[in-house]
Amino acid sequence: MNIQVRNDLLVTDLSIHTADGPIVSDVSLSLGRGHPLTLLGESGSGKSLVAQAIMGNLPPGLHAIGRILFKGSDLLAEAPSERRSRWGRSISLLPQEPWLALDPTMRVLPQVAEIHRYVKGRDAAGSAAAAKENLLEVSLSSAEALYPFQISGGMGQRAAIAMAHAAGSELLIADEPTKGLDAMLRDQVTARLRREVENGRLLLTITHDVAVARALGGTIGIMLNGRLVESGPAETVLKAPKHLYTKALLSSEPSQWERQVPAASGEMVIAGRGLKKSYGSKTLFSGLDIEIASGEIVSIVGPSGCGKTTIGNILLGLNPPDAGLVERRADLSSLRFQKLYQDPPAAFAPHQTIRKGVRDLVRLHGETWARVEDLLARLRLPESLLDRRPGEISGGELQRFALLRALLLNPAFLFADEATSRLDPVSQKEVITFLQEIAAEAGLAILLVTHDRDIAETISTRVIDLGSSDEKAM
Amino acid sequence: MKNFFLSRLLQASIVAVVVGAVCFALMRALPGDAAMRIAAGRYGPDARIADAAEKVRLELGLDRPIAAQFLEWIGSLLRLDLGHSLVTGRAVAHELQVQLGASVWLAATALLISLLIGPLVGLISGLKPGGAADRSGLAGAVVFRAIPPFVLGLILMLIFSRQLGWLPPAGFGSPREILLPALTLALGLAAMSSRVTRNAVAAVARAPYFAFARYKGLPEAVVVRRHGLRNAAIPVVSYLGLQAIYLVEGVVVVESLFAYPGIGHALVHAIVERDVPMVQGTALVMGLMFVAINATIDLLTFWLDPRTRRTA
Repeated sequence: MNIQVRNDLLVTDLSIHTADGPIVSDVSLSLGRGHPLTLLGESGSGKSLVAQAIMGNLPPGLHAIGRILFKGSDLLAEAPSERRSRWGRSISLLPQEPWLALDPTMRVLPQVAEIHRYVKGRDAAGSAAAAKENLLEVSLSSAEALYPFQISGGMGQRAAIAMAHAAGSELLIADEPTKGLDAMLRDQVTARLRREVENGRLLLTITHDVAVARALGGTIGIMLNGRLVESGPAETVLKAPKHLYTKALLSSEPSQWERQVPAASGEMVIAGRGLKKSYGSKTLFSGLDIEIASGEIVSIVGPSGCGKTTIGNILLGLNPPDAGLVERRADLSSLRFQKLYQDPPAAFAPHQTIRKGVRDLVRLHGETWARVEDLLARLRLPESLLDRRPGEISGGELQRFALLRALLLNPAFLFADEATSRLDPVSQKEVITFLQEIAAEAGLAILLVTHDRDIAETISTRVIDLGSSDEKAM
Repeated sequence: MKNFFLSRLLQASIVAVVVGAVCFALMRALPGDAAMRIAAGRYGPDARIADAAEKVRLELGLDRPIAAQFLEWIGSLLRLDLGHSLVTGRAVAHELQVQLGASVWLAATALLISLLIGPLVGLISGLKPGGAADRSGLAGAVVFRAIPPFVLGLILMLIFSRQLGWLPPAGFGSPREILLPALTLALGLAAMSSRVTRNAVAAVARAPYFAFARYKGLPEAVVVRRHGLRNAAIPVVSYLGLQAIYLVEGVVVVESLFAYPGIGHALVHAIVERDVPMVQGTALVMGLMFVAINATIDLLTFWLDPRTRRTA
């Protein structure tokens, strides 16, 4: 499939092979000035590999064949040292999760200045002055003397953009630039990227977020299982999708979901009264009342850092409140209050098969394996996945295993902490649908913490809005 | 910062009382007659040793209640008086100054030599995990760590003193005599610190910020110098603190082996001769050194890693 725009970057028949065979095949695309390209797809679809083939940093053991023409020269024909000499000069990368990509022990200013000093060869004073200029352009002068752990995710992403400005390279590759950011910060980052395009930079964006692709415009390529299944101008692809997967992807956007709210019926399972919590001098919330009945889904929304997760943790007894108290239905053991974590890989032991973890759990709590099999069927998880390690299955599948683990203990209350924010939209919808069904079937009380207002409003009986906070926003 | 020094001062006083009490109790619990041992230490074992021991007992008040003897020690400690050696009669503080000075020289030389070897081997190994340098670094570390210091010391003695005749096998006084014992200690230290450095460097080299520094276009040497060294140094510095402590322990054996008159040597002799004030004084100074080493490491880490300053 070919897209013809203006060919400042032209990828023709790109395939990426491991020793066992191709994992990306026959991808052809192009982008030009004023016309960004966005690759949309779930994790494992190969979209990041395409970006890495262009950047020249494919993991060892993978090699790319085909042609990548950048301003007339074939990147794949270049020696590794030539490719590396393009980094920071003609091609720049906007890293995913920039707060991890910044050196944790160095202040922001020198991390920008070193590009002028060591890539451009300026003197120390000139580099510092130029770096101050770069930070001013992204209104980040206030962060010059801060360390990465002292700045927010949005500020981190802007620092990365300041570095791309310092490099002044023509092609900007943004790898999941909005991963881990809430909706407000996401929109600010995409607006910033849009401005880069208007200033004449070439932009290739990798994302699983349809909203980002929509905001950036230009060309959209949809990737699935290592193939480009559909591509074309953003308006066409988003309005009249042809491929089945594209249709599924678009309908899984929370704003497109059908509103389906469980009826509040059962008795109260857990409640917090007059809760208050502060960190340092900042009061997150005070006098907060929350009550969740069985069969009910209650959502808490708000920007990052506003204390959403803390409320759930207080209810579970993981954090103590500064004031107020938590009431639980008296006849329930504490094991029946469970939590589903945000980042599924972080909630599993990495070197252990899933079967072993589940079997230990069954043994510890005297459950039967038959219940595991029922739940596997219920959550549509093939039994063969049990013998893999957490890193070897997709995030959506892993989160369903996390759900299985929690459900095995017959929870009466489940706290889902941003449980779908790191999943691609299709997996996100699946997991949310399971939560809804189980709440209805088993009378489970669910507290959902999310930064996605659309999800909260389509599925919950009540939404608690912690509103805007004074988080160091963009 | 003020809290930091106050808490370390408190830690030091707790160490003083605990170390003093434990030494005191252990020395009393040892089998054999203390007065007899002291007499033997002073006059040598001869036929009239029993009379000499009786004199010693009366002179030193060894027949007084144990609690009284302990309180007396604590009391003089508060006046910064460590007492006098029961054997030589000289001030413990003076003996320590002489012997500790010698030990500190040995320990510092050993640590310095190990610092020249360990972190450098570790850096080269860690930048290419699984490479030839890494594998030979591992083999070397296993060999030098597995050989106990007294065997390694003997081997070095055989090579450098007997075969090559370059260095004296034992003794004290000139820099030439410090080299063999220092090298013995240093090889064991470097074996461990090279592996710790290797793991720290490998972890940093896998970190997203290290890759991103490359994507920024920085030359490899700049990437390692600006983003590798400081981050990798954080765990290594903490480990070096542990090593400095291991060193003080290792000094005890190696000094005896090479007849080097340091604090370890002094401690071994004081125990044999039941010289309680010497044992207490030596253990106390060693305990306080541990506190000082820990404090130094914490300060270094504060400086290296801005994240630790948040809570400081």
